Formats: sequence, C-alpha cells, structure tokens
Amino acid sequence: MHTHRLAPWAAYTVVGVGALIMLAPFWFMFVFATHSRTDIFSLPPPLVFGHDFAANLGILTSHLPFWRNLGISLYVALASTAFTLLFCSMGGYAFAMFEFRFKDALFALVMGTMLVPSFMNMIPTFMIMDALGWIDQPRALFIPGAANAFGIFLMRQFVGSSIPPELVEAARMDGCGELGIYWRIVLPLLRPALGTLGLITFIASWNNFIGPLIVMRSPEMYTLPLALRALQSPVDTEWGALMTGSAIATIPLLLLFLASSRQLISGLTTGAVK
Amino acid sequence: MRLRSRFRLTPAWTPYVLILPFLLLFLVFNLFPLLFSLFLAFHSWEPTSGLTAMQFVGFDNFGFALGDEWFWKSLRNTLWMALASGVPQHLVAIPLACFVHSALRRGRDWVVGAFFLPYITSTVAIAILFSALFSTDYGLINLGLQGLRHLPLIGAAFPAEPVDWMGRPEYIKPAISLVVFWRYLGFNMVLYLAALQTIPGDLYEAARLDGAGPLRQFWFITLPSLKPMIFFAVTLSVIGGLQLFEEPFILTGGRGGSDQAGMSTAIYLYRMAFDFNDFGAASAMSWLLFFLVAALTALTNRAFRARGPAS
Amino acid sequence: MPERDRLELPGRRDAGRRLAGLALALAGGRSLAAAAQPVVLTVAAYPAVDDIVREARPRWNALYPGVDIKVVSRQTSDHHTAMTTALSTSFYLPDVMALEVGYVGRFAQGGGLEDLGDAAYGMRHEAPQYVPYAVAQATNRHGQIVAAPSDIGPGTLLYRHDLLTAAGVDEAALTRSWDSFVAAGVRLKAASGAFLLANARDLKDIVIRTGLRAGDGLYFDADSNVLVESPRFVRAFELARAARQHKLDARVTAWSNEWSEGFRRGTIATQMSGAWLAGHLANWLAPATHGLWRAAQLPEGSFAAYGGTFLAIPRGVPAERKALAWALIRLLTLDRERQLAAFKAHDAFPGLLAAQQDDFFTQPLPFLGGQPARALWRDAALHISAIAVHKQDAFADEVINTELDKVLDQGKAIAPALSDAARLLARRAHR
Repeated sequence: MHTHRLAPWAAYTVVGVGALIMLAPFWFMFVFATHSRTDIFSLPPPLVFGHDFAANLGILTSHLPFWRNLGISLYVALASTAFTLLFCSMGGYAFAMFEFRFKDALFALVMGTMLVPSFMNMIPTFMIMDALGWIDQPRALFIPGAANAFGIFLMRQFVGSSIPPELVEAARMDGCGELGIYWRIVLPLLRPALGTLGLITFIASWNNFIGPLIVMRSPEMYTLPLALRALQSPVDTEWGALMTGSAIATIPLLLLFLASSRQLISGLTTGAVK
Repeated sequence: MRLRSRFRLTPAWTPYVLILPFLLLFLVFNLFPLLFSLFLAFHSWEPTSGLTAMQFVGFDNFGFALGDEWFWKSLRNTLWMALASGVPQHLVAIPLACFVHSALRRGRDWVVGAFFLPYITSTVAIAILFSALFSTDYGLINLGLQGLRHLPLIGAAFPAEPVDWMGRPEYIKPAISLVVFWRYLGFNMVLYLAALQTIPGDLYEAARLDGAGPLRQFWFITLPSLKPMIFFAVTLSVIGGLQLFEEPFILTGGRGGSDQAGMSTAIYLYRMAFDFNDFGAASAMSWLLFFLVAALTALTNRAFRARGPAS
Repeated sequence: MPERDRLELPGRRDAGRRLAGLALALAGGRSLAAAAQPVVLTVAAYPAVDDIVREARPRWNALYPGVDIKVVSRQTSDHHTAMTTALSTSFYLPDVMALEVGYVGRFAQGGGLEDLGDAAYGMRHEAPQYVPYAVAQATNRHGQIVAAPSDIGPGTLLYRHDLLTAAGVDEAALTRSWDSFVAAGVRLKAASGAFLLANARDLKDIVIRTGLRAGDGLYFDADSNVLVESPRFVRAFELARAARQHKLDARVTAWSNEWSEGFRRGTIATQMSGAWLAGHLANWLAPATHGLWRAAQLPEGSFAAYGGTFLAIPRGVPAERKALAWALIRLLTLDRERQLAAFKAHDAFPGLLAAQQDDFFTQPLPFLGGQPARALWRDAALHISAIAVHKQDAFADEVINTELDKVLDQGKAIAPALSDAARLLARRAHR
C-alpha cells in the first residue's frame, strides 16, 4: 500500500473543514426533523435539536402509510440494485472485452437513452405500463431501468482498466465456458465497481420520484419521495413532518453507505495484476 | 452440465447474449417513448383532450423552437451552469480522492462519508436550507461575507451591501452552480476512489525506487491510470450538466428565478409541456437538446481518444 | 372497459354488472346495504383537499353504505401533472378529480371533463347556490360547466393595525386608492421602518386585475390580441416601481423563511391574499402577532381571488360510476354542514352561498382583534368577477414577471419592457 506521509497539516485542515461544510445541511435536516414548522420557518433557522420529533412523526404517520411506503421503497431499491448489477456488468463486460458487429452503433444507442429528459417520456411510458398491466406494480420501477446506460458505461470503463484480456484468454484456454468466465472471473474482479454501482443505483432508486409519479396510482403503493411530496402544497405544508420523514428516509442510505464504504474505500487493493 | 457443454456459447455470440437484457428492455421501454416524442414534435396537442386531439403541423414546432428567445436563453444558462459547476467538481474531486486514498487511514470513512452526504440529502431539506443560507438579510452566507469584510487587506474585496442571492439575476447562476458543485463533489470523489483502488501498488513502488516524488507519481502514474474513470465522470457531468433540472428547480421554486437567470433548458422544457401546455414545442425542443448533448458527448469522447484510447 | 375499472377488490370480473345494478339501485333510491361487494370511489386530490374529503367519509358512508371512498393524494403540481397524464390517455382516471383554480380554466377548455351542466347532473339548476364567479371560472367557452367549486379564495388586504396606527395611517387612507396605498407605505416606512409589502410584484399582480369586468381577458382578449401595453399594465408597473423606489417592499417571496420571519418581526405590514392566510398566520406563521392584524377590502375597490378548489368528473369514467361521483361532489360542495366543517378545520372558504349564511360568519376573530372578518370575505366573494382564461396565460404571467423584474432591478423603462412582453406574447398568442 502506497502512502506519502509528507502531506502537510494544512491539507488535513482544508479537507477537514471542507468535510464539515459538506456535512452542515445534513445536520440541519436532522435538527429540522425535531422542530415544528413554526420554528423551521424562522431566521436564523434552529441550530440544535428541538422537542417536536414525536409530534412530527404523529402528523407524518396520520397523513401517510409512512412505514409501508418505506417498505416499498426498500423493496424497489433492493430489486433495482440486484437487477442493475447483473445486467449492467454483463453489458459493460461485452462492450469492453469483445469485438462484434454493430458494437459502436449499439454503444451509441446505450448512451442515447441517457440523453432524453425523463419527464418528456411520462405519457408514453404511462401507456406502456398500462398495456403491460404494470400500473401500481413495483416491478414497473425496477425492471425498465435495470440495464441502464450509466451502469453499462461505468462497468465498461472498469472492465477496461482492471481486467487484463490475457486473463480471459487464459481462462478460455483452460476450457472455461464464456458465461463461466463472466461469473467466476470477471464478476469477482469487479467487486469495487459493483459496490460503487450498487450504492449509486440504490440511492437513485430511493430518491426517484418521476418513475413512481407515472406508475403509482394508490397512496399505499407510493415510494417515499412521492409520499413525502404529497405533504406539500403551495399554502399548507407540514414542514416539520416533511423534514422528519426526509430524515428517516435518509437513515437507510446512511447505513448502506457505511456498509459499502468498507467495500469501496477501506483500502482493499483488488487490482487484478498483482 | 451436459446440456451446457452441448450448447456451449462461442465467443462470437457471447457479446450479443450479454447485451440481450439491454436490447430487450430498450425495445419494450425506450423505443416507443422515443417514437412518441418524435411524433409529437410534429404535432400540436392539448393533452387533456386525449390522444385523438393531435394535429399535424409539420416543422412548425421546430421553427418555433429555433426562433424562441427563451429557448436560446435557457441554453446559454445551461451551458454557463454546466461549466461553472462541472469543471471545479473534477478539479477538486481528483486531488481530493488521491489525498484521501494515500494520506488518510484513520477516519477515512468519515471524511468520505461527509463529502458523500450531500448526494443523499433530501431535496426538500436542500431547498429549505439553501433558501435560509442564501437569505439576504439573515442568511449565513451574507453574514460570513460581512464578517470577512472586517479582515485587513482583503476585506475590501467583499461586498459592502448584503447580496440578494436568489433575487438578482447576476447571482442566481453562481448560487445554483455552487449547490450543484456541493452536491456532486462527493459523488465524483467516490467514483475516483473506486478507480484508485484498481491501480496496482507496485507501480508506485517502482516509481519511488526510480526517485519519483509525489507530484511526479501523481502526474505519470495516477492520472493516466484514472483516465477511463475521468472520461466516464466527465461524460456524466456533460450529460447531467446539460440536463440540469433538480437544483435550479428547487432553488428557484420551479420558475427559473428573476429574469429566468436560473432557468435551464430542462426546466424550460418541463414548463413548456406542463405549465404552458405546449407539448409539441416541448418535444421539438427536447430533440434539439438531444442533438446538442449527443454532439458534446461525442466531442468529449474524441477529446479523450485523441490522447490514446479511452478504455 | 371492464379491464380498466378501478375496483381494487376481488371479483373484478363481475364488477361491471354489479355496478350497473348499483346505479339502478341509486336511481330508485333504494338502500345499498344489499350490495355484497363494496364499491370504491377514487378521489384524486392534493393536501388539505385530501383531508376535507376524508373527513366527509362518515357522512358519505351513512348515505351510501356500500360505497367506499379512496383518496389518492399528491403534491399539488404532481397531482396536476398526473391528471394531465391520465386525461391524455384516459387510463386510470379517478372518479372525482380536484383542480386548483390556476388549472381549472385550462382543463375546462380541453374537453376531457364531463359537462356537469348536462341534464344527467343538473348543475345548471344548482349553479345559483354557488358563489357566481366560481361557477363562471369553471365554465368553458362552449358554456359547459366542467367543475363544481368546493372552496374559494376571496382576496382581502391583511394589515398590521398597530404599525399603521402608529404611523398615523387609518384604514381609509390605506385602501382609498392604489396611490394612497403607496403613500401610506411611505409614511409607514418613515415612522417604523417596516415594509408595506412583501414584494412589489404583489402590487403589480392585483393592479393588472383591477377594473376588469366579467369575461374580460387578463393578458389576451377573446381574439387573442395582446393586451399588455394597455394603461392597466402601465399603471401596475408604475405603482410597483414606485413601491420599489421608496423601498416599500421587503423583496421576499411568499412561503420563504424571510417572508414568515417578516410577519413575526413586524417588518412586513400588509399582505394581500385569500381569506385562508389569516388562519395560517394564527396557526403557525406568526402566532405571536395575535390581535395585531385586521382585514380590509383591497384598495380602490379591487376584488380578486387568491386560490380556490374545484371538483370535476373525467369524461372517461365508466357511466355507471358517474352518478356516484356526482353524488360525492354534491355532498362536498352543496352540503352546508360539510362546507362549514372544511372552513373551520382547513380555512377552506365555502363556495356554497347557504354555508356563508351561518352565524359563524358574523363571529369575531380574536386573531384579527375581534373583527368579524368572515363577513368581509363573504362580501368580497360576491364582487369578484371571473376573468376569461387564455391558453397562454401561464406563459404571459411569466413574461410579465420577467419584464417587471427588469424594470425593478435593472432600471429598464416601462414602455419598452411592456412592448418586449407584447412581442413575445404575440408570437405565442395563436399557438
């Protein structure tokens, strides 16, 4: 493991202060969760924890099937992550390691799907979901985007930089089947990349609201962002409850991040060439 | 086992099988919306009247879009904010990731976590917080600026009057860019950190034996090894920056701010469709934006390819 | 389409037949208790309206025991986006659709909503029971009434009695004309340093509506001619500029922290708004200013609506459910008790004239220093005239605000600002 210990204290200080600044809004989110909307709408806003958490939670759970919404969000995000990791690593591996006809055109097609703003697709997507009978079905949220451009592109870059073609060739010589190579050699080597993609996919699914806005037609099938937004109106928003809901909604992401940071950044050197 | 050996996949067919999920999902979920919006771009439509209410108008919508002052204004805004938020993201995220990777041991998770948190903070919290931070009379940012004014020498460089951040057109774009930078710095940092994991340590070992200092190691080993990831992250910033929507939307209350200074093209498209009820023109504009983003993405690709293959 | 019916319960297949039976039962006025499977009526709404519908449930269940109500609530703009999507495809339409006043004109022109004036509903005969301007707002150019008003937002001026009195300004001086309103602001500023208004834009918004008669257009006339260079707009811009030049506006936007803080600290002395704002001020925006506020009619005899909710039935709802949907709308909009309950719980001002005759309307409001302001709002509601809507109104609104910003912030002259606006609008007027 390579380190250079010459970095001056100034660098540590800058990074530390930077981290605190980044952290501040997050702190406020949890602080706001414990205040009434009267307190939140003051200036300066409250800086330390208040006493209204229980009251906010009460408002939240009386307006929404909050815990159920949380469960649906969790289910959709987990399923979305699983499918995305599988399909995108397959696609990325294909684009990085193989030469085939229409490769460039197909990759352009992949990237092209990224270029259309999602709200422009609302009406036609709604028509497809209705034709499939997927309205109010969680699968409408995790299947369509499972082989997405972001993931395929990310995986292609990782495969290209961390898996030497000789390794694949050698496995072929040893008589390993193509799918076996993918499953037993490529996937294990992609662990840090899969960790990154998994984390980002989970978060994107967790915060997605245009998808659920299109397909979810019953409040008990809402995911969290849609449910929490439903507390907002131009004139009468329960801001305290909204902040409580937002703060609780962030906790799973926080836990996920702490768990996956071990994978991502705890210094496991997983480079293939030792 | 026997079955698998009989239908053993040849290397020639493998890539097609591997991208089959993408192709299937594309055909089912992406193709129709693309065709629909292309169709719509040539029609005039009042959506609340139903699908049968579309009327063919030829290239009218495209002509309208190209002659529309606000469309061009939104494009200029978008480019401004994409550059002002995108370039610093990478210039900061790469050294930061290298620093965390090489110099931090204890507390590393916490630092990375802190920088990553903005990416998972709810947009509602961001909207409230930044409206409080950017507040003219009571906002923490203006309080800070006022404090800096009392510093000797450099104090005079700071504004004497409190800055009306979200009210004055000239400040809206910088304020939004700052929030975008804040939100995606940690995201890029995590991408770069993941890529740094894959650089073999013995490369550095060899360089050190040759007497290369930290800066030379960074320049000759780290940067070239990071190149595929830089290409990826920059491409994402180009695409994401040109489709900038969420941050300006929440910071300007969905309207784009005074003089539309914070109105990105994506916001304008959204408003054209759902507020101004002109789905035809919105579709035409989204196709124009599509070609612009595609062209810039291709340029990015070429820029990275010019100095060696990207992958 | 039985495949598309909205029953979320087992036995979907025979739902259509059962519903037909149900409709017959309804027509004959028979009890529905015999229906084995409960029918579920879907109402799509947004915050506050969702609660009002839920609170009507006990009464509804007593009237129609076999029919449940399911409320689907979304954030206000999400709701209207979802309704646009549903109407555009006719899939998954709710049986009853709530529409905010800013959207009702646009949805009315679209042809996706039932004509409640039709004999099947007979709202034409019920129309005199509602506040007249609200019915006019829901009437499209073909004379169809596409929605029933459930609550309205009669606009008045809320002002800080203590601050204005200290500045030597009485209510008559404040509201005599728009010029005297601005003059009062100058005195107020000199006396206490308080701002007259939250934003000069509020002044422009109301002055461009002052003097319009029923059926007049705001930005466009009936032939889509652009009206923004008329004296109405020049005056509105001049007044807004005067307010800004005398530093009479706090330059804050509604529903921001600075706005609510301005009310709490007494730095914003007046606010034009719907009746509901008094309730929000009392409940959470600035409860500590209890007793210090009063309400007055808007200056210069202006009348305008700030907010309001309508209920509509989409055309694509299966015929047999439409009768039930209409019955629910009747309960929510024509039942005096329900209308009053919504007013008391949510500050949703009744659109039903009979509900406005309740004693509640003459009772003093402690937050407004004992003023019986509800009678004032009731009076305002009767004077409001419905402005004709144009497809490009939302865009025009944005263009005018932009040009006003240029006048206020960048010193652009008013005449070129308005002619620039007119040019942009003319390009769109006939789209």
